[in-house]
Formats: sequence, C-alpha cells, structure tokens
Amino acid sequence: MKYQSQAVAKPYFIAAIGLFLGQILFGLIMGLQYVVGDYLFPAIPFNVARMVHTNLLIVWLLFGFMGAAYYLIPEEAERELFSPKLALAMFWIFLVAGAATILGYLLVPYATLAEMTGNNILATMGREFLEQPLPTKVGIVIVALAMLFNLSMTVLKGRKTAINLVLLLGLWGLAIFFLFSFYNPANLVKDKFYWWWVVHLWVEGVWELIMGAMLAFVLIKVTGVDREVIEKWLYIIIAMALISGLIGTGHHYYWIGTPEYWQWWGSVFSAMEPIPFFMMTLFAFNMVNRRRREHPNQAAVLWALGTGVMAFLGAGVWGFLHTLAPVNFYTHGSQITAAHGHMAFYGAYALVVLTMISYTMPILRGREANSRKAQVVEMWAFWLMTIAMVFITLFLTAAGILQIWLQRIAAEPMGFMAAQDQVALFYWMREITGLVFFTGLVLYIVSFFIKGEEARAS
Amino acid sequence: MSSAFTKSAARNIFYGGAVFFFLLLVGLSFDTMQTLPKRDNRENLSESAIRGKHIWETRNCIGCHTLLGEGAYFAPELGNVYTRRGPEFIKAWIQSQPTGVPGRRQMPNFNLTDAQLNDLVEFFKYTAGIDTAKWPPNVEG
Amino acid sequence: MNIAATLPASHDQPRTLPGDLAIWFFIFAELLVFGVFFLAYAFARARNVELFDASQLQLDRISGAINTALLISSSYFVVRAVDRIRHGASHACAGWLVAAMTLGGAFLVLKLTEFAGKFAAGITMSTNTFFMFYIGLGFFHFMHVVLGMIILGWVAHKAWRGGYSAANHAGVETGASYWHMVDLVWIVLFPLIYVMH
Repeated sequence: MKYQSQAVAKPYFIAAIGLFLGQILFGLIMGLQYVVGDYLFPAIPFNVARMVHTNLLIVWLLFGFMGAAYYLIPEEAERELFSPKLALAMFWIFLVAGAATILGYLLVPYATLAEMTGNNILATMGREFLEQPLPTKVGIVIVALAMLFNLSMTVLKGRKTAINLVLLLGLWGLAIFFLFSFYNPANLVKDKFYWWWVVHLWVEGVWELIMGAMLAFVLIKVTGVDREVIEKWLYIIIAMALISGLIGTGHHYYWIGTPEYWQWWGSVFSAMEPIPFFMMTLFAFNMVNRRRREHPNQAAVLWALGTGVMAFLGAGVWGFLHTLAPVNFYTHGSQITAAHGHMAFYGAYALVVLTMISYTMPILRGREANSRKAQVVEMWAFWLMTIAMVFITLFLTAAGILQIWLQRIAAEPMGFMAAQDQVALFYWMREITGLVFFTGLVLYIVSFFIKGEEARAS
Repeated sequence: MSSAFTKSAARNIFYGGAVFFFLLLVGLSFDTMQTLPKRDNRENLSESAIRGKHIWETRNCIGCHTLLGEGAYFAPELGNVYTRRGPEFIKAWIQSQPTGVPGRRQMPNFNLTDAQLNDLVEFFKYTAGIDTAKWPPNVEG
Repeated sequence: MNIAATLPASHDQPRTLPGDLAIWFFIFAELLVFGVFFLAYAFARARNVELFDASQLQLDRISGAINTALLISSSYFVVRAVDRIRHGASHACAGWLVAAMTLGGAFLVLKLTEFAGKFAAGITMSTNTFFMFYIGLGFFHFMHVVLGMIILGWVAHKAWRGGYSAANHAGVETGASYWHMVDLVWIVLFPLIYVMH
C-alpha cells in the first residue's frame, strides 16, 4: 500500500467479517424459529435473536465503511491519515462497545437492560434497529465524530478528489442523521416520521454516496479507466440517488398517520429510486469493458460487478415492486418487505464492503492479488452467497404473496398465525437456502487462508 | 455547440439537486407537522397511553410484532389489535403467555402489573384511533 | 468539396443537445417526475370529475394566463441571450438574461399572491385531491422557477464579466435548456390544472 497508515483498515475489515459471521448464525436461528416456533425459547426469544441479527448487520457494515474510508482516503488525498492511533483507538472502543451491547441483549432481559443503562434519562430504546442502550448510542456518535475528524483533517490537508469528497459527505450525513435516533417523541406518528430520517435517509440516501464512492474507487484501481470519466458518472449517480430518495422518503409515510398526499409524492419519487442503481450497474459493466489493464485480482472485479447487479435487483427491482401506494396498501408489513430488505442490504451494502475487502486485503497483506487458487475459492463464495440470497428472496416473496392473499385479500381473511402456518413450506426452503448462504460465507473466510503464488496480471 | 459532459457540471447538478430536494423535504415535513393534529389522535395520547408506549418499547414488542405495519413479522399486527380483540382479551392474552404449545411461536411473559397492562391497553386504544388512511385492509392486520 | 461546406455556416458540427449533458440527466429526471404527476392528475380527475371541476372554479385563471405569458416571453428573452453570446456579445447576452429574470421574478410574485390567497382561505394540500395537485405541483414548479432564476443569475453574472465567448459558452446553453424546461412544464401545467374541465 502507498501509505503506512492505510494499515489501520485491516482490523476494521477483520472485525467486519467476524460480525458478519455472527449475524448469519443468528439469522439461521431466527429462520428456524419461524417454523419451529419454540426453538431456543426462553433462552433466546425471537426478538432477542432478531436484534442481535440486525444490530450485527449494521455494525459490521459500519466497520466495513470505516475500514474502507481509512484505506481509501489517504490514497485519494495522497497523504498519510491524520491520526492512525485515533483510528485504532476508535476501533477498539467500537468493538468492545458493540460486543458489550450484543452480550447485553443476550444475557439481560431488555427491560432490565433499559433500567441499567439509563433509559430513564432519555428513552431511546425499543425501536427497530435502534435497540441500543443510550451509552452505546452515545458511543457510536463519539466514534463517528472521531472518525470524521480524522478523515476530514486528512482531506483538508491533502488532495481533494470527487471520490474522497463524496465519501466524506456520505459519512458526515450518516453521522448527522443518526442523531435523529435520540429523538423519540411520545406521539407515535411523529416517532415513526422521524425514525425514517435515520433509516431511509441512511440506506436510501447517504449510504448510497458511501457505496458509490467505494465502487468508483475500486473501479479506478482494477480497470485503469480515467478518473475524470469515473468521477463525473459518480456525481450523476449520486445526484439521481438524492433527487429520487429525498422525497422518496414519502413511501414510508403512506399508512402511519401522516397526510395522504404522501401517497402521491412518495410513489412518484420512490418509483425513480431504481435509476441510480441501474446506472451503477451500467457504470460497473461499462468501466470493466473499457478497462485499460487486466488486473490480477479478478475476484475483486467479480464482486464489483455483482454489487451493481444485486443492488439493482434487490434495492431497485424488488423495491419498485412494492413501492407504489396502491400495491403497498396490501404488501405493507408482510414477507414482501422482508424479501426486499434482505436482497437490498446484501446487494448494495454487504457486497460493496466485500468488494472493498476483496480489493484491499491482499494489498494490506503485502501483495497485489491473492493466488489463483485463493481467488477461485473466493469466487465460489461469491456465487454461493449470491445465488442463495436470490433464492431466499424468491421464497420470501412467494411466502409474502400467499400471506397477503390469505390474510388481506381473500373474501374470508385468515388470521396472522393461521396464514403463517400456510406458508411454512417457504420458510423451510428459505432456511435450507440460508444454510447454503452460510456455507458460502465459511468458504469466503477459508479463502483468506489459502496460500499459493500471487496471481500476476495476464 | 455539441454537448460536452463535464465533471464540474455533474458536480453542480449533484449539489444543486441535493439542496433543492432537501429543502422540498423540509417544506413538506413542515406542512405534515401542521396537518398532524387532525390525524394523529393526540387528544387520546393520555399519560396512561404514554406510559403504555414506554412499556411497548422497553419490552421490545416491535421485535416480534408490527405496529402500523412496521417492525418484525413473527407475530400479529398490533396497531389495530384494540379493535380486533378488545381490552380484556389483550390483558388476558399477555398474562397467559407463553402458551407452551409445542412448535408454536412463543411469546415471553413480561410479568406486567395490572397498572402496566392497563397502560399498554390505553396505548393500543390510542394507536387504533390514528388515521392511517384505512390501513390495514381488514381487521386481521 | 466537403460536406461541411454545404451546411449553413453556423452549423459546422453535428447538432446534439445544447449545453452540458449533465443538465440533460437532470432535465430527464424532472420531466419524468412532472410527466408522471400529470398522468396521475389525469387519473385522479377521471375518478373525481365533479370534485375537480368544482374546486377548479376557485382558481384565478387570469393570474395563470398572465403567468403563462410571462414565462413564454422570458423564454424568448433567453433565446435572444443565447443568440447574442453565439456572436460574442456577452454584455448583450447578460442584458437579455436579466430581462428574462425580471419576467421570472414577476411570475414568482404573482404566484406568491395567488398562494397567499389560498392559504388565507384555509386551503392546504390536504383539503382535497384537486388542491393537493394544485398546491403540490404549483409549489414544486415554483421552486423550479426559483432554481432557474439562480442559474440564470449565475450565468448572467459570468457573462457580464466576460466569462463566455462565441466559441465557449456551454454554460449559457446549459442554463437556457433548464429555463426552457421550466417554461415547458408550466405550459402543460396551466391548461391541465387551471383550464381543462
């Protein structure tokens, strides 16, 4: 690597992968609980497994974004990171706080955890994805601010490229919108309205800036295409992301007590949200087609292309399927939502982090690319996880359609629990496919330990 | 003049577009906040209902259930449970968990006091009165 | 004898989209949004003809007609501005742009008066579906005119200071394209919402 301080990215990436493994283990537990309802009850009730699963997802992705930033920004800014020590300190603080939080979820009844951690000072616990105790939330803000300070100082004193500015903007946005997690009004409608200012404006907003910058960086490195070309397309892509996604927030405001004009505004704008993802796919394939070199890390190229396609399918297509208000009226809060959520998160964010790790890890370990053998195993891991995710999504979509038909459309509507029994077959198939996904992830981890002669550019 | 495609124009579109649409979002949000009093049933957001919301949160009910369609998909929608089941059923149901039926999805017993149960029911009653544009499609949620 | 020599002198390159391609992405997105909204309006109206016709009667068509004339004239002034800079007359270009902005400013004032009247009468986006479209689209378009004014102002300022020439004035064409889009949207919006019944 060009700058010694880029090495701080390595622990971040290792932690990310470890937490990803934990996330999937708990996902498998939940998947089994869907069909064997009392599995692990009362030791790990479903809601506890779920908060571990979702919180691990968010935290491993954050570790991934931070690691990516610590690698990418010094290289783009053409100078060492402002303070590698600060980055390392924040790594340990985040990891320990995260581990403590997960242990808290598992070992302590949630209401007790709330009492122990000062929820009565400011009640921020108990909302989806924001289950963290107050001290953890404060810790996240501190770690984020330290990271932003570190990265901003590096860019301020170095070269300012479109890529590092867009990444920085995305990360600042991530931190600022997270502050809404501290606002929890008693008014349920306002509670839900502003909750989406964290969640939607993250995953359908500033996170797309982060993803775009990371993808652009890897594409420049593995294709050798001119920076000017890649950067101007990056700006158009993220412009479309915010133009569609900001008012697109309205697709969460159809049925929660907010005014009904959101059904129009949310539908029209959110229908456009696939556009930036479609552009990212074209972007990735086009740049690879126009490449000026054959990079020895072909696995990284595969992950990059995969990110474009799966993000478009999961976030773009599956998102579009249930975004229009007349459709959403029937699909809101069903397995369709779960189907979209899984493929979107995997396709856009898990894959872009794995793309970054695939490109940078060999360099962090002292070579331009891993051996042929290791790359082949890595690519197998990509295909196993990706195909498995496609099928998980298809099975949940089928479950959702049947659920909606039985529970919300049929002349004699069925109750929730009875409808769940009817779709159990799809849940079994999802669980088996989940095991395939897990196998892929294990193979991915194995690929890091496969030795052999470094692959050279052909 | 043929069309160039410059990075600086693309950058300006991004910044201009982002500011434009963020301002629009703020404007629409402001109008939303003005309109809420007619829709959000705040006249029934009593102290009891507020305590009930706190119980809802500190027991992480959203970890299994949905509320107005948002949450987890393991257990039934509770935004309209007050309409679907009524206060007495709700209290009795919560108190009798877990069912212990082999293989059935299980709900913990949260050892709630009578006062807490009443507060939770008040919260459900308040939630059921929010104008959700006729969602859900039927009483089953 | 080459083909270029047979073409009119001012077209010595194949004609493509005027201005920077980047703005055309933006224009495409905007036209898509407005287009879909117009379709949505037509759809909503078809299901609610009486309500729409009755509510429409409360609109000030004279004000709308004057606004249409203002915007079309301002677009003409922008065309003149682009023509001037093609001949290298940057001060004249800036002058025409300022004239266009003056008419644009008048549009904004008239629109604000119109909206103020509606709000005073207690009409909001939640009054009924017709007013949702009227206020929503009206305000959305209003914001586009404001953005257009900012763009024209920027371009006019740069032109005044000699930042463009006959050979190099993509920015003027870019800004002009945007302004024409804003005008075009109004030309559809006005008859659709104010007139058609």
